[in-house]
Amino acid sequence: MTQIELRGVQKFFGAVQVIKDLNLKIDDNEFIVLLGQSGCGKTTTLRAIAGLETIDGGDILIDGKPVQHLKAADRDIAMVFQSFSLYPHMSVYENVAFPLRATRKSKAEIDQEVRSVAKTLQITDLLAKKPSALSGGDMQRVAIGRALVRRPKAMLMDEPIGALDAKLREEMRAEIKRLHIKQGSTTIYVTHDQIEAMSLADRIVIMHEGVLQQVGSPDEVYSHPANLFVAQFVGSPVMNVADASVAETASSASVTVGGAAAGFEFPRALLSKLNGHAGGQLALGIRPEGVLVRHEAAEGFLPVETQIVEPLGSFDIVDLMVGTKMLRARTKSGFVGGPGEKVFARIDPTQAHFFDTASGKSLEVRL
Amino acid sequence: MAAVRTSSEIGFNRVAIVAVLLVTIIFLAPIYWIASTAFKPRNLATTIPPTVVFQPEISPFVKLFTKRSQLRNPASPEEYAAAPWWERVVFDGGEKIVRDGKGQVQWSGYPSRFMNSLIVAITSTVLAVGMGTFTAYGFSRFKVKGEADLLFFILSTRMLPPVVVAIPMFLMYRAVGLNDSHLGLIILYTAFNLSFSVWLMKGFMDEIPKEYEEAALVDGYTRMEAFFKIVLPEAATGIAATAVFCFITAWNEYAFALIMTSRRAQTAPPFIPSQVGSGLPDWTVIAAGTFLFLLPVAIFTFLLRNHLLRGMSFGAIRK
Repeated sequence: MTQIELRGVQKFFGAVQVIKDLNLKIDDNEFIVLLGQSGCGKTTTLRAIAGLETIDGGDILIDGKPVQHLKAADRDIAMVFQSFSLYPHMSVYENVAFPLRATRKSKAEIDQEVRSVAKTLQITDLLAKKPSALSGGDMQRVAIGRALVRRPKAMLMDEPIGALDAKLREEMRAEIKRLHIKQGSTTIYVTHDQIEAMSLADRIVIMHEGVLQQVGSPDEVYSHPANLFVAQFVGSPVMNVADASVAETASSASVTVGGAAAGFEFPRALLSKLNGHAGGQLALGIRPEGVLVRHEAAEGFLPVETQIVEPLGSFDIVDLMVGTKMLRARTKSGFVGGPGEKVFARIDPTQAHFFDTASGKSLEVRL
Repeated sequence: MAAVRTSSEIGFNRVAIVAVLLVTIIFLAPIYWIASTAFKPRNLATTIPPTVVFQPEISPFVKLFTKRSQLRNPASPEEYAAAPWWERVVFDGGEKIVRDGKGQVQWSGYPSRFMNSLIVAITSTVLAVGMGTFTAYGFSRFKVKGEADLLFFILSTRMLPPVVVAIPMFLMYRAVGLNDSHLGLIILYTAFNLSFSVWLMKGFMDEIPKEYEEAALVDGYTRMEAFFKIVLPEAATGIAATAVFCFITAWNEYAFALIMTSRRAQTAPPFIPSQVGSGLPDWTVIAAGTFLFLLPVAIFTFLLRNHLLRGMSFGAIRK
């Protein structure tokens, strides 16, 4: 049972505040992913939890006890580094045994535990090798083995598969997930790769410039981004965001983007839900799959011209010019022949997001 | 004339091999000269042109290690018959080995000077490399106020030619009784090598990713343990290289040794030329002393060659 809690954590590097009042509670056995661009403070947060970085304010609690004054060695936490950090002068066996040697266990016990972890990670036949003789994936397995062998209270992983090539990354992602389900230890995982975050996390913590933006399950942050940053950071291809104005029509609401002649049709309920924001600074966010495209005219569909078509195999991404604004739509592959084609588009109101452009916050409109 | 240089790689390789051989010969010629002179009979040491083919002798080494006196007359057949083989070679050279009242061979000053050199060079190397490694680690891993200034200050101790401070140093050493002492030379050479050692080791320490120690810290070790178990083995290459340079500097140092020491703590470099002495110099003895003096550095470097050659390319950090 390990819970980790951050309460009002602050961290400065000189005059730069890299963590701003961070509050986060991580439950036992939870797989938390800290997601953000480089320099957003996610790695610093992880290092602060590990004890490799001091904090300038707030508390870090492990199982309810403040640990910010404890040394890294006394926090009983394991960490996997992006660089793997396998000790080059030691064999794989010695690398995995190294954390146990600090605990003054007997040789037989250490041997037994090293072999058991090696078996779990399928690295038994590598034990005699030196790290320099290993492939990237194997190095990473060994690094995870070294972290697991002590049965720490929590596992911290700092972009552990960032250095691997794409195919191997996918394999290792699945392996880490399998391992977590099997071992069930509280895990905090840092990455800038949102696909990694979505596929691994129980909950994703999105950070930007040292500030926590949103905490939620992968589905929550994807379907209900709390602000413009999260909306555009999570999801690939990126969500379309356009300044919008909303007008009332006879039977419905009309949302105009890019100064187009006509607006997209929305249910009338939008007006009341926007709660006075209708005339103000408003941005419409819509993921490419929320832009519906068809060849024939239909009610509620606006005529638009296609620009660039990006065939991505299982689907195409089509750029549509709406007024002066480009909207990217996701279509079946081969649906649009090429640039310059006339098609008809509408926005699926259930997938639309509205943001206050001044604060960037979501207006939580759900239709 | 046919073109010697061809554009083909084979031609280039041949030229390169010849060039390398030439350079090697130029560099090794003085060493061959010293080594061959050390095994020559005295009358062949100064012939013009130099004698290349000769029967090697051990007499220069016998002379190097013993006290001798000139023979007025050739040794008598009885003396000859009673003497061991190594004493006869000295008789042939017109000298005889000096014995004390108990018939014991009198040693020359060379063995003790050689020992002094070993004591001073090894101790000062261990001290300079040890302290340099710790200092470099501190500068490399921790935020040190005024780091750049301090490092410059450390290096600035090497900016003066050492001889400039020789006289003040001599006066200070005499005042505190450190002249002609092992301790005095050890302190001097350690101080001399320390700045070099700090700078060299700082470079090597910076090359060792700090993730290694951080991994050890998270794995339950203290910083000291992480330093000894992880950083030191990783720094072995740098330590070996630094040690070789420090040892060579301390071993070969001449000026201070000449000024600061006279007998008790005198090292080999000022002693060897002093043996040229008065009268007809025996160059074979000088060459024998020099030849033996070359060996420790050669052996030390040879023992550490794997570390020196290994380089830093064996890491398992992915950058």
